[in-house]
Amino acid sequence: MDTTLSIRRLTKQFDNTRALKGIDLEVPAGRFVTLLGPSGCGKTTLLRSIAGITDPTTGEIWLADKRIDALAPENRNFGMVFQTYALFPHMSVEKNVAFGLEMRNVAKPEIATRVAAALELVGLGQHARRLPRQLSGGQQQRVALARAIVIEPDVLLFDEPLSNLDAKLRDSLREDLRTMQRKLGTTSIYVTHDQSEAMALADEIVVMKDGEIVERGTPVDLYRRPRFRFTAEFLGLTNVIEADISGSECRLPWGAVRKIENPAERASEGIAIRPEDIGIDAASGEADGVVEQSMFLGASTHYWVSAAGQELRVITAGGQSDILATGQPVKLTPPPALHLLKTFEPVEAMA
Amino acid sequence: MKPVRLTTILLCLLPGVGYLLVFFGMPLVRVVVNSFSGRGADAAGFTLDPWITLLTTPVYLDGLRFSVWLAIAPTALSLLIALPLSALMQANETSRKFFGSLYRIPLVVPGIVAAFLVLVMLDRGGMASRILTPLGITLPRLVRDEWGLGAIIASSWKNIPFMTLIISGSMAAISKDVLSAARTLGASRLTILWRIQLPLAQPGITAAVLLTFISSLGSFVVPNLLGPSYPLPLSVHMYTEGFTKGNWPLVYAMGTLLSIVAVGVLLTYYAIIGSLSQSDAQKRAGA
Repeated sequence: MDTTLSIRRLTKQFDNTRALKGIDLEVPAGRFVTLLGPSGCGKTTLLRSIAGITDPTTGEIWLADKRIDALAPENRNFGMVFQTYALFPHMSVEKNVAFGLEMRNVAKPEIATRVAAALELVGLGQHARRLPRQLSGGQQQRVALARAIVIEPDVLLFDEPLSNLDAKLRDSLREDLRTMQRKLGTTSIYVTHDQSEAMALADEIVVMKDGEIVERGTPVDLYRRPRFRFTAEFLGLTNVIEADISGSECRLPWGAVRKIENPAERASEGIAIRPEDIGIDAASGEADGVVEQSMFLGASTHYWVSAAGQELRVITAGGQSDILATGQPVKLTPPPALHLLKTFEPVEAMA
Repeated sequence: MKPVRLTTILLCLLPGVGYLLVFFGMPLVRVVVNSFSGRGADAAGFTLDPWITLLTTPVYLDGLRFSVWLAIAPTALSLLIALPLSALMQANETSRKFFGSLYRIPLVVPGIVAAFLVLVMLDRGGMASRILTPLGITLPRLVRDEWGLGAIIASSWKNIPFMTLIISGSMAAISKDVLSAARTLGASRLTILWRIQLPLAQPGITAAVLLTFISSLGSFVVPNLLGPSYPLPLSVHMYTEGFTKGNWPLVYAMGTLLSIVAVGVLLTYYAIIGSLSQSDAQKRAGA
């Protein structure tokens, strides 16, 4: 079955705020898409509208060739995983997982088989009889995942499912989520404010801000070649540098001249250089800048460098060199080609 | 060291437990003890007479049955209305505000006023019959009828707000995500009420049931005003026996009996609730 999800001109008006300002989004069948943005950007409202828990004010939602925005959530066959796990506290793990199948009037023996299989898939087969409160947060979220996938949903929806977990657990569950989604091939929409989570999981990232989509692309595209300053700064660390641009070349403040990848971009706000793309070496002769501060993080070292009046962040990988001392004059090596950034203009400002 | 600690613990407990002992335990003990005493100044020390009278006189036994009926019926009726009302209040902000202001009205009306309201409305020749008779509808006898319907209505009218207050509070404590999750899994609102909201709100429902039951069991004003002349609930008998006949040992015996019945009914209620959740657990283990 085709499970392509299309969202057309979707808006949501709360009392005085427009949470969604006309969202157009198509999620091809089987694709894992993350909605990424700061809190209040509308990503959760969009996800809840897709689930049917929130009624959009205007606009349409289509699943393949079927319009579903007027359907009650219980008739959409979407699986949803919540940040708060949202397990039924008075039901055992297997009862929780069986709930959706019971609602679909699946025969009892089949429920037992499918519940057992789903619990096995999330690695909780031996905890079937426990109550949710007897499990750790990570285990509870696995139960919630089993409960969502056991109904074989057309679309899986995730609302910041890892945000309540501690860092180690988050990483391992993140990997499991990815593996499982690849295996099941279910169309998935995943809301998060965590850029590393978005990059690790998604086939495609949709960056949102103030109820609008800023831009979308694969993690590599958005990280390497963001169009907007907002995307560049939200996805990882970046240096935005004011530089003299002439034609397809630019001169960095400390004198280095580099080619520009996207000279056609208009209304540019500056040059983006990722901190890990700048080479840094102790200067023997003429220096580009001075180390203001350094932070050793084991796998990498972060430097704050002052160069021609601008503060730059530079990251070097692990054991490449000795830690440079504060006050050390340094030579900077920018990447061979640089990337121009645009300012994101909200719809209202353009209207 | 040890005796000192014991004294400390007793001293710390004194304000709470001591208060209960002095103002609750002692009067209760006195009631029970006095129910085994004779009448008047020349009374014998210990006698079973009040209890024998109470348990062998049909008027009193009917009174006991009627007391229990006047406690169970309004509790059941109030629950029947308060439960869906509480659930409806969870649906959205608008319904919360609407039902929220509606159910508060009877909260501020004292019991005796409620009883008079029912009297004015439902008595023969009252407002309801004057409105309905031209339409060809004749109301059954609702005031001073043998089933105590008027008393049940007045008592329910008074108790529904309290029940709704408690039950909607415990339903509001259920996470919205849990309800949303149930809907995405395919549950209708009715299924969610039955399978999620009721079990999770059960402690609140129990509290509401207990409060309504106990207050109705001992209620005096409402059955006295709206109830039939026979049978009379024990509360009314207690008043008559005490203040017009001066038979205080019998009054104490009736009070003790009412308390025993209350405890008995509550234990039965707990047993039923317990077996319900246990059978759920067994189903779980058997699945």
